[in-house]
Amino acid sequence: MTTTTTREPAAGRVLPRQPWNRHLIAIGILGAVLVPLPLLLPPAQSAVAVRVLIFALMSIGWNIMSGFGGMFSFGHAAYFGIGAYVSAWLLVERGVSPWLGMAAGMLVAAGFATLIGFLALRYRLRGAYFALATFAFAEMLRLWAINSDLVNRAVGYHVPLRPESSWWYLQFEPGSANYFWIALALTVAAMAASVLFLRSRAGQFSKAARDDEDAAAAIGIPVMRYKLYTMALSAAVTSVAGAFYVQYFLFVDPDLAFGSSVSIQAILPAVIGGVATVWGPVIGAAVLGPLNDITATILRNPPPALEFLQGRGGLDVVVYGALLILIVLLLPQGIYGALRGRWSRR
Amino acid sequence: MTQTPDRAHAVAGNGGGVVSGDLDDELEPGGEPAPRAPLLRRVPWLRVAIVVGLVVAGIALAYLRSGSGVVVMQAVATGVLIGGVYGLVAMGLTLIFGVLDIVNFAHGSFLALALFLTFWLVNGHGVHPYLALAVSVPAMFLLGMLVQRGVLSGAMGKPLENQLLITLGLSLIIENALLLFFGANPRSVALPGDRGVPILGAVADLSRVLAFVGALLLAGLLFLLLQRTRLGTAIRAVAANDVGAQLAGIDTRLIYAVTFAIGTACAGAAGTLVAPLVTIEPTTGALFNIIAFVVVVLGGMGNVVGALLGGLIVGLAEQLGGLYLPGQSPLLSVFIVFVLVLFLRPQGLFRRAA
Amino acid sequence: MRKTWTTGLALALPLALAACGGSAPAGTDRADGGQSGGTIKIGSLHPLSGAAAADGQQMDNGAKLAVEAINNAGGIKSQGGAKLELLSADTQGKPEVGQSEAQRLIQAGAVGLVGTYQSAVTANVSTVAERNKVPLVIDVSSADSILAQGYKFTFRVQPSSTVLGTQGAQFLDEVAKAAGRPAKQVAIFHEQGPFGSAIRDAFKAEAEKRGMKIGPVISYDSASVSDLTTQMTTVKASGADVLMVSGYYRDGVLVAQAADTVKPGLDAVFGVANGAFDLPQFPKEVGAAGEGYFDANYHPDMTKPETQALAKLYQERYGDEIRTGAVLAYDAVRVIADALERAGSAEPEKVRDAIATVELDTLIAGDGPIKFGPTGENENATPILMQVRDGKVKQVFPADKAETAPVYPAGR
Repeated sequence: MTTTTTREPAAGRVLPRQPWNRHLIAIGILGAVLVPLPLLLPPAQSAVAVRVLIFALMSIGWNIMSGFGGMFSFGHAAYFGIGAYVSAWLLVERGVSPWLGMAAGMLVAAGFATLIGFLALRYRLRGAYFALATFAFAEMLRLWAINSDLVNRAVGYHVPLRPESSWWYLQFEPGSANYFWIALALTVAAMAASVLFLRSRAGQFSKAARDDEDAAAAIGIPVMRYKLYTMALSAAVTSVAGAFYVQYFLFVDPDLAFGSSVSIQAILPAVIGGVATVWGPVIGAAVLGPLNDITATILRNPPPALEFLQGRGGLDVVVYGALLILIVLLLPQGIYGALRGRWSRR
Repeated sequence: MTQTPDRAHAVAGNGGGVVSGDLDDELEPGGEPAPRAPLLRRVPWLRVAIVVGLVVAGIALAYLRSGSGVVVMQAVATGVLIGGVYGLVAMGLTLIFGVLDIVNFAHGSFLALALFLTFWLVNGHGVHPYLALAVSVPAMFLLGMLVQRGVLSGAMGKPLENQLLITLGLSLIIENALLLFFGANPRSVALPGDRGVPILGAVADLSRVLAFVGALLLAGLLFLLLQRTRLGTAIRAVAANDVGAQLAGIDTRLIYAVTFAIGTACAGAAGTLVAPLVTIEPTTGALFNIIAFVVVVLGGMGNVVGALLGGLIVGLAEQLGGLYLPGQSPLLSVFIVFVLVLFLRPQGLFRRAA
Repeated sequence: MRKTWTTGLALALPLALAACGGSAPAGTDRADGGQSGGTIKIGSLHPLSGAAAADGQQMDNGAKLAVEAINNAGGIKSQGGAKLELLSADTQGKPEVGQSEAQRLIQAGAVGLVGTYQSAVTANVSTVAERNKVPLVIDVSSADSILAQGYKFTFRVQPSSTVLGTQGAQFLDEVAKAAGRPAKQVAIFHEQGPFGSAIRDAFKAEAEKRGMKIGPVISYDSASVSDLTTQMTTVKASGADVLMVSGYYRDGVLVAQAADTVKPGLDAVFGVANGAFDLPQFPKEVGAAGEGYFDANYHPDMTKPETQALAKLYQERYGDEIRTGAVLAYDAVRVIADALERAGSAEPEKVRDAIATVELDTLIAGDGPIKFGPTGENENATPILMQVRDGKVKQVFPADKAETAPVYPAGR
């Protein structure tokens, strides 16, 4: 339990001065390099690429609160779902542009996170208790949405199709590269936001509070306030993923928005890539996003030696589960964490 | 009550939670058991009285809301019986939580595995459902040992999220392996001579009553194991302070493996006992998992008897909640109770705030 | 040193996989791009793993048998006897997986899709189909909202929730009146999702119109409910004489167990589009407790020899009794094949136009051949009434589809 609250600084993990500008430049380069990607990939692979970016966005948000802030959230579905539902509701019921819906979703999600955060911190929940509290709130939102006429109960929302493409309404031809570029821009912005956050007072203070709360409080840092900032930012980033998800998949219902598997999806990329690192969530999403499709593809057209496995439902998920365990066991610090460990030892 | 509950967490964090079949934490920091006080005096009577009072008030409210005594009686009977089942499932989980400090997401899948094992024994080999315990419990014990040594030992002491993902991976593997081998058709196990039995104006299936009795027996057995045996003492010592326990000559690696195995064996026992009440599918275990986590927190992590009582509270909240909020999901009331308890008594209802 | 090695290995693993994966889907294109070389591809999207895997696998099998039957009969004759090829995909019951799998199948050259069972997945796949201009024939997914979007490329073989609920109330009324014990008060259990709620609304409207009193109405979460005894006691205390149940398999079993324990004194337990009461394994699982249960549901017409032959073939091939979903998937593939035949082209848009004018005999009990209305709804789709008799599910109403006469009241 304390492992999350007092994370041991591993070798090379805490550098005296983080090279922030280098991070920002690298993020910019990554974004620029990926721009031509949808023109090179076939449509089904482009869909996977967009999915990877949505995962990355969710997980960047999670990482701000749970990685940098040290408050393990097991309920990020709440923020993802709020982003999805607020924008869907505004669009379907009021005809408001999804861009405005996205902004509104960020506000609502940040507000909700502040509320949960205030309660959880007020009652001093930590570690697994904090995680279960966040989970409970996400679950309550799901159960409420299922039975609430305000959000169309369990039916959820279909985004109406428009006759032609529209940037204002964020709808394009199927397989349009615009989807990828928008998701890419949002992801780059979220990464930049997390770097800027780390550089800011709020980021420094909340990392200090993560590493030693009592000491941070003792030197006069208003721990509670900075923790709440962190949570609000984290929730806002994840809610953007939800809002974009609705526009891309054109449908949302309570399980897709608030289900516990959504919370897990927000955690997975960061852990695989490297918790509390700027690059971890993106790397993790890039590995995990296609993994499911890859195992499914291999088992669909297996090499001759494995032909007996063909067409058995569930096998791809078994392989996926096994790979998940292997990655976590072999790279407990995540891919980026392990790489950085190697580099700094050199 | 007002003492800072995070202290309890800090202690728990040091060595992996405080396990005690006891209603109190009676361990000294050094891992040596405190002198044993008479059992009755160690029960936190006041807290039990408050909880019982709240439950009675809840029942009275449900009566006012529904206006039918029979319905409320039935809700209480069903809630208690089903709560026993929840407690049964949560016992193994709370043990693992308390000693190994692992949020075991695969617990429900182990339960599903035991369900299928029971199904295979009963329908394939004509074994009586309850005799299947003789196979499912040792088999799941062994499996738990193997899993802990083979997979989880590498993740001991790692952050919460790493363990979470490993157990998540395990549950994906188990559920889908079951799907591969048994196919996806729902299965069932019939208890010979199962019928409705009257309880104070309400009725319940015999199999549910027996599962409830099984839960009581299992809680008692675990309590005795933890309190009255050398192994139990060692487990509690490791839970309180693993470094100290190691210095005192306890093989902590062995204790971790054995504790996880006992926890899994509990899932095995639970699986066999609930087999006659549920539809057996690879995903059946997952249904119980979420509720089991709630129960573990209500009862206090690592507290076996607390898990049983927590289960009863969740069962009652679910059934009575259905009467309070007819249009809403019964689970909503369970989570409301859960969050209230988390805020007011995060160390669980039945443990002293360190 | 050792650390370096494991890190390297662990890194190499996903990367190597990513490399394989990058080439593998592209490899599916090698098979002659869809229609030119004598095979025409049809995509089948169903949950082959996850909680609904049992039904998903049945439906995928049904689609396979249809392709096989059509190929054995000489393929698509108007296109030089072109053979059909079924591309099966696993949606895992997740909309985003369904979406990317649908994309993949369309990219691999599928000229039509069948699927998908879960309404959330179907909603997603239908937008993919619409935007790529490839027809989707829904075999199972009853949510009204899917076809309320004005999509042109989506068709549905099974009846909608509204038809199911309305017809259910009508059947109950007629059967009860014919037996001389009209239903006075009907209690309702329904799962709280869109499916159960839509059936409840349609049933309630029609039943009240026919003079029945409705209440109590109790909803539950089918994913987590583990006991319905209390709810059954509420029904007993209310004095209702019929209990209508709309839900899935597991909760249907719980209803039967609760009724057996509580003995609510009902004239009938009456399922509407119930996912349990008309399945062959239901009476096996609950035994005598399920005897006499009704279900108004879409169902294979077992009075037809073709249906009986299909059921027999299914049993031989897969060692399992065929379910309605598999027959619907079988019919959905036949709809696409018939359209291919009449269109004389494997151009998806032409196939879509041909589907819109389809008129095809069906193995499902209905009011006539499969024929789509302007919204894509099968106009002749209707439920029939079944009843569990001596541990077997029998068709009992209306009379022309009946294998035997209904028994009412079927006391509980």
